[in-house]
Order: sequence, then structure tokens, then C-alpha cells
Amino acid sequence: MKAQTRRQWITTHEWMVKPMRQTEWISGQGILVWLAEVFSALGMGTYLVGLLAGIWGITTWAWWTTVVGWVLIVVFKLPLHFAYLGRKRNFWRAIPPFTSAWKTSWFARGMFFSVVFTGAGFVQIMLWYLLHWADLSASAASVVTTLSWIVGIIAGVFILLVGMYCGFAMSYCKGVQFWNTGLLPVVFVLMGLADGFAWTLGVNLVTGSDESVTSTLEWCSRVLLVINALLILGYLVQAYRKHHAAEVAAMDLIKGSTAWVFWVLLVGLGIAAPLILSFVTLAMGSSSSSQAILIVAIVCHTIGAFALKYSVLKVGIYRSVIPGVA
Amino acid sequence: MRWGMVINLAKCMRCHGCVAACRIEHFLPLHITWVKLIAYEVDEKGAVDVSTYPVRCNQCSDAPCVHACPTEASHQRDDGIVLIDANKCIGCRYCVIACPYQNRTFFSKDKDPGYFPGYERTRFEKMGEKLYPHVRGTTEKCNFCAERIDAGTARGLKPGVDRDATPACVNTCQARALTFGDLDDPDSNVNQLIRRHDGFQLRTEYGTDPSVWYIDYLHGGNDNKAPREAQTGSHIQHLSSVDRDAYRRIYGREPEDAEVKS
Repeated sequence: MKAQTRRQWITTHEWMVKPMRQTEWISGQGILVWLAEVFSALGMGTYLVGLLAGIWGITTWAWWTTVVGWVLIVVFKLPLHFAYLGRKRNFWRAIPPFTSAWKTSWFARGMFFSVVFTGAGFVQIMLWYLLHWADLSASAASVVTTLSWIVGIIAGVFILLVGMYCGFAMSYCKGVQFWNTGLLPVVFVLMGLADGFAWTLGVNLVTGSDESVTSTLEWCSRVLLVINALLILGYLVQAYRKHHAAEVAAMDLIKGSTAWVFWVLLVGLGIAAPLILSFVTLAMGSSSSSQAILIVAIVCHTIGAFALKYSVLKVGIYRSVIPGVA
Repeated sequence: MRWGMVINLAKCMRCHGCVAACRIEHFLPLHITWVKLIAYEVDEKGAVDVSTYPVRCNQCSDAPCVHACPTEASHQRDDGIVLIDANKCIGCRYCVIACPYQNRTFFSKDKDPGYFPGYERTRFEKMGEKLYPHVRGTTEKCNFCAERIDAGTARGLKPGVDRDATPACVNTCQARALTFGDLDDPDSNVNQLIRRHDGFQLRTEYGTDPSVWYIDYLHGGNDNKAPREAQTGSHIQHLSSVDRDAYRRIYGREPEDAEVKS
């Protein structure tokens, strides 16, 4: 009979004998990490969509979208991350130039990306405000436009990095086979973008933009959702084939204790519901959904964003350290 | 020079002496353990056997925790020992997550309720707060008793040979299952053991190159087996020799009369 663990004799540290869950980033105070990561994705998606929309002309809704994205990062994500730290007053040690750990540490890189985005994003928002509402002379407008392009590109690159670093930080963990894949940052970024389109729809509704914008945003959001659904399916399949610990994690998502979050909140509400609502609207012969349907879809998207990060963090299962044991 | 440890699993008798020695040496709070002992049953050719793995920080050459640390609080010395600077640590716990061996613990308030929760701290605990203060909100792990090594080598002593320069767990191991020495010296006691007994590290596929090596009678097949009396489950075997029920539970068959005392 193949040598493997049957049962433990003295349960001194059972988490090192069997595949065991990580708890630091999801249980107790770890909930703050989960929430911070959700706001990272939402903020990244919303800000980036607003920024891209502004390329074709700065509008009120595009400006407000960037503001909402910036607020999600600066007011929600960063304070939640800082609240999680064991020694909060030392947080500055993680930010370059006070550390050179950015060469290897994704956490330090993330802090750097967030700080740069906070500054560049704020300046970009102010410049857009001047361009859209202030009465500038032609020469001043030219200078501000040039500046807004430069700062906008910097802010855009860094917000993308803010959205990506969470995935890279998790995929670096070799002991957690389910996370240890290059697909994870891609899933996080694409899902964040889909949610960003949804939040932009919300901003669009509040600021009262035209229907063509709404239908374009809705269409982009749905396309990304379909891509994400396929990507998540591919992620689970590769995890299932990768290693026993990753397989355990995938099976926990599919039919374990985390299954209800995965199926009901992520797949059902986060992906299927917005798609079904769109198809129903199309079937009724309309190019964009009604306001009520849009609001429901946006709420579903947001629930899906929370569910995605929760389920991925929850099934962070470590491989056993004992050779010959599963 | 790179300090390393060889743990002979065949000799380990699961006495938890290393765990206790470490707690005393470093005045560890109640729910913090730097040295851990894993015990589990294996099913080998139909007979249940017991194996143990004493584990501690592997002081990896390519330590993921050091790479993950955003503040450089986790750092590696020239002698290979990975240390945590509590003053620099911000308590992000990324190192706890990144360690594939799960040998790091975050020191939160709930991990230090006192040795006798609800009662006054013992004199030992009070002394520890002065002599070896642990900083809440930071991460903790085994440091190979770096302070003993430093103090000993400063006096010209040799770690692994002289007790005053050797980790407390190695000194206290009554089965002499732990050996400490220089992995960079091909003729050192640790390298000789690794060569002679087909030593192995945990999860080499991570590419971390741990400094803690194991010698295991199960590893490498039957040729590498220690005498039955010296095996990990020797005291379980003793237990089985006085109790028929225990014998059946452990070996999965009825004992011969000569094998039990009663």
C-alpha cells in the first residue's frame, strides 16, 4: 500500500501534514486584506475606464469616473491595507526610498505603485477639471493638455500596476499551489476591468449621459464578463491538473465549503446575472438596458468582485511539507 | 560559512525537549513556538507505523520570506541565518504567507495571554520581557539561536561542538537526534551525516535550498532503516508490548505471546 497519511497520531501541527488553508489574509483581521484587494480591483477598473474614455474627449461622466476610481484606491484600499499592518506607524518603511526591497518584494512594489498613483491620479483629476470647467486661455489650455497627457499616462500605467500587483504577490507564494500561477494577475485585472465598466455605468447613470455611451459601456462589460468566465474555467482546469494541493483548492471551490460563494455569488450573481440581464434586454429589441436593470447589474457585478477575491483567498491551501504525504 | 542542522528522524523519540528548550531559551509567549514537532501515522505495507518530523525555520539559502519582506526586516546574514529585525517589521504578514514551510508566526495579542491566563505573569515571563523582549505586531521564527552562536564564536568557541555556541535545541536533545555544524565545510559533522545517511531537505522543488537536513530511516528504502529499537516509534513499540489492544491498533494484527508482557 502506498505510504500516505492515514490519520495523525499527535495533532501537534496538523496544518503542516495535510494540505491546509492560509488564514492570515482572510480570517480575523485578514478580512481587511480581502476588502483592500477588492477595492484595488474596483478602483483600478473604474479609474482606467474613466481615463480611457477621456482620450476621446473629457466629459463630465469621464471626470467623475476617474474621481470615483481614485477615491476607491486612496480612501478605501490604502487605509484598509494600513489598518491590517501589525505596526502601523512603521508603514513608511515599506515605501521606497526608505526600502530597497522593491527589487524582490511585490508588497513593496505595490506600495510604491499606490503612492505614485495617488499623486499622479490627483494631478490628472485636477488638470482635467481645469480643462473641462475652467476658462483657460489658448496657450494655457495647450500647456495643461500636454501635462494632462503626460500625467494621465503615468497614472494609467501605475493604476494598472496597482491592480496587477495583488495577483503577482499571491502568485509568488510557492507553497500555495492554487495561487502559484501567472494566470492569477490576469484574472484579477480583467475582472477588475469588467467591474470598472459596471461602476462607470453607475457614474454614467448619475451624471445623466447619453444612451450611446451606456450601451457601449454595457457591451464592453459583458464581453469582458464572457472572457472572464472562460478564464476562470481555464484557471480551475489548470489548477485541477497542476498538483494535489491545487486540486484540493479547486474542488473546495466547486463542491466544498466555499462552493456557495463561488457558484451563487461569483458565477451566479457576478457573471451570469449581468449577462442574462443584457441578453434579456437585447431580446426585447433594445440596445441598452433600463435604469433599474442596470442598477441590478451593477450591484451583481460588485458582489461578484467581492466573491472572486474572497473565494481565491479562502482556498489558498498550502501543500504539506512532509515528503511522501499528499 | 553556512550554519546548518541535521535531524535524525530515526533517533527522534518525540520527547518535545527541543520545543521546551527553545521556549525557555527565548522566553517564548504561550502560543508561539519556533520549533515544532509533527507526528503522524504512515501505512507501510499494511502495518501502521509512526513517524515524526521536528521542524523549524529552514534558514533557506534562497529564502522566499526575505524576498517577500517589503521593509528588509527579514534579512540573511553571511552565515546563512535568516533574522527578523523587529524594529523594521511592519507586520504585513507577507512573509508568513510566502514561507512554503509555514515556519513563521505573527505575534498578535491573542498569542500572549500569559502562561496562566487570568493570573499574574510568572517571574519567568517577567524576566523574559526584560531579557528577550518579543515585539507584538511583528513576525517571529527560529533564528538558530543566533545570539548563542555570536556570543560563543566571539569567545573562540565552535558552534556544533561547544555547547555554549550551539543552539539550545541541539544541546537539549537527549536522543542526540540533532546535529549542528557548517554546511560549507565538506568535512564537518553535518556534511558527513548527510553523505553517510543519504540526507534530504524538505520540498527541494521550491528551490529554496534549506539549511535543515533530515536523515530518515523510511527515506531511501529498507536499506536505510535503523534497528527497530532505535526507530521513531520505539516507545510506541514499548507501549504495544504491554497492551494487546495497542499492539493491534499499531500493527494491525494479533501479537505473538512473546511480543506482549500481559
